[in-house]
Amino acid sequence: MAKWGMVIDLETCTGCQACTTACAMENSRLPGENWQDVLFYSEGDYPHLNVSWLPRPCMQCENPSCVSVCPTKATFVDEGTGVVLVDWNKCIGCKYCMVACPYGVRFYMDEAPVVEPDVKAAFPGEGRRQVWNPPFRMPDEYADPSKGIGVQPKGVVSKCTFCHHKITQAPEGVADLDEDDPETREFTPACVRVCAPKARFFGDLDNPESNVNRLIAEKGGVRLKEETGNRPKVYYLSGGGSPVVPGQRSKRRS
Amino acid sequence: MASITDFSGGHSGRETQWMLHFLISLTIVVVAGGYAVWQIMTLGHAAFNTTNAGIFWGLPIVLYDYFLLTSTGLVMVAAIYHVLGVEAFRPVAKRCLGLALAGLMGGVAVLFLELSNPLMALWATPLNMQTQSPLFWKILLVGAYTVLLAIVLFNSIKQPTVRPNPLVWPLALLALAITLVAGSVYGMMAMRPMWFGGEIPVVFLIESLVGALAFTMVFSHLAHGFRHDRMSDELRWLFEGPLARLFGALIALHFLLHAGRAVTGWWSNAEGLQVWDHMLSGPLFYIGLGVCTLVPLVLMLLPATRSNGLAQVTSGLLVMIGLFIARYEFIIGGQQVPLFKGSWVQTQLIEYTPSMTEWALLGLGIGIANMVYGFAAWKLGGEDEA
Repeated sequence: MAKWGMVIDLETCTGCQACTTACAMENSRLPGENWQDVLFYSEGDYPHLNVSWLPRPCMQCENPSCVSVCPTKATFVDEGTGVVLVDWNKCIGCKYCMVACPYGVRFYMDEAPVVEPDVKAAFPGEGRRQVWNPPFRMPDEYADPSKGIGVQPKGVVSKCTFCHHKITQAPEGVADLDEDDPETREFTPACVRVCAPKARFFGDLDNPESNVNRLIAEKGGVRLKEETGNRPKVYYLSGGGSPVVPGQRSKRRS
Repeated sequence: MASITDFSGGHSGRETQWMLHFLISLTIVVVAGGYAVWQIMTLGHAAFNTTNAGIFWGLPIVLYDYFLLTSTGLVMVAAIYHVLGVEAFRPVAKRCLGLALAGLMGGVAVLFLELSNPLMALWATPLNMQTQSPLFWKILLVGAYTVLLAIVLFNSIKQPTVRPNPLVWPLALLALAITLVAGSVYGMMAMRPMWFGGEIPVVFLIESLVGALAFTMVFSHLAHGFRHDRMSDELRWLFEGPLARLFGALIALHFLLHAGRAVTGWWSNAEGLQVWDHMLSGPLFYIGLGVCTLVPLVLMLLPATRSNGLAQVTSGLLVMIGLFIARYEFIIGGQQVPLFKGSWVQTQLIEYTPSMTEWALLGLGIGIANMVYGFAAWKLGGEDEA
């Protein structure tokens, strides 16, 4: 079985947010509640200003704190892929997983909108649990509430699935899912597939022949917040630079 | 003729008092609860000021934990008589158990309105056995605690005299376990330095006990029309002696633990602890620790005020408010440092102010707790005569 992981090259990423947009279209996300996002940070004042950015999907941890804290096992690690998923049929909406996630990549559906206008009001859903009816959505046959795939219903938590509905269709034993390879293009996660500068790579971390393993080894891939012990399966290449995420304190003006 | 002011006038005077207590509480439940339920029915949880930007647990969770820990503390105080056999605490044992159930009902009602699928929790939690989760244990323990507490009260409520009940042994153990697990829910969160630490369950235990004694003081005086001299001799002796001293000692412990965490948090440069700077720059912290903790501590330390009824009621009320502020600052403060919300969180700390609906839930919780207690005292003989 594959252990799917992602490598993001920060030296190549332009912060264009194509990944964010593709993820939102693929997974019917609300604006501002992006499973995949590019976070922007600024330090200083014009004209002495430094802007940096960090693409941030779910880290798909090997030892995920969100799974440990879920009282109903609604959040679980899929055995076949190693992907962390949410069973919407079991989620009680306690939000403990959101509290416990060090990376802030979980979203609850029944909150005030993060950004205006409220698209939920513009595209109202039908029925008690369907909050909105997105004008863009994946084909219904891909939707699987037991894995948190589809239009997120009311009162449950959702998160990035590594496009589980796509990667599980990939040929058995393949080392990497690459948009440049016609044989694996359709099975590549949306954020990886649309990355114009090719800053994202997706492959099997358990396969020594995979491109992701080569990149991590040769370019010194690092993981975020190692101190939490969550062991993310998303690696960042920073060209040997310093840690990439500015803390809240480092942003403070002196 | 008995009247509300005639608390020494015997049975009918007390009945009138508890009937009024029940009716006023019922009014609060109808008004506050009606507004909250209407808002939740029309707006969903968007009626709360919690958002996906970072404050996931708002005032309702503060309320739930506040009521729950008060309840467990009250059972532990009742256990001083039922389990440890300290005869001096017999006059308040029944009152503590009644208050424990009433507080629990208020807290659980608020929690049920906060959770999106609370009924699912009843079966999905025990059937899936996620033993690693503190919430798994908390839900199971609270379930068992509720049933056992109801049984204990049912057995004792019509008995004219209070006798040691062996069922309080497991009940007190459950209360202790719930209190420590409730602390672990926060204390295990290594990714949130404001919450993280092995001392948090102990802090919760101390807060639970000090809160329980505050409620015991206030409600015991309420039962006697806030007239200290109308208490029975044995109750007055308890309040002027062991209970007041224990209350003072626990307030001191609570103060030390709270102030100690604030000072270390304030001095630390660790990412995530800057929220202490924020908390120490606002008035709420000083109201909670100064007015609502130091003042009662002084009142309970001085012999003249320690045995004074007015000072005891004042101390009890201040501690009740102070603990609520402490719980609020702890739960909200632990979430104010944003975790990777990036572009959608532009501030250093995420701001949060409870919505009107959330405040209404405070009214609902208080109303239900008092309604249950008032009814039990009025119709079921759930009040200590002492």
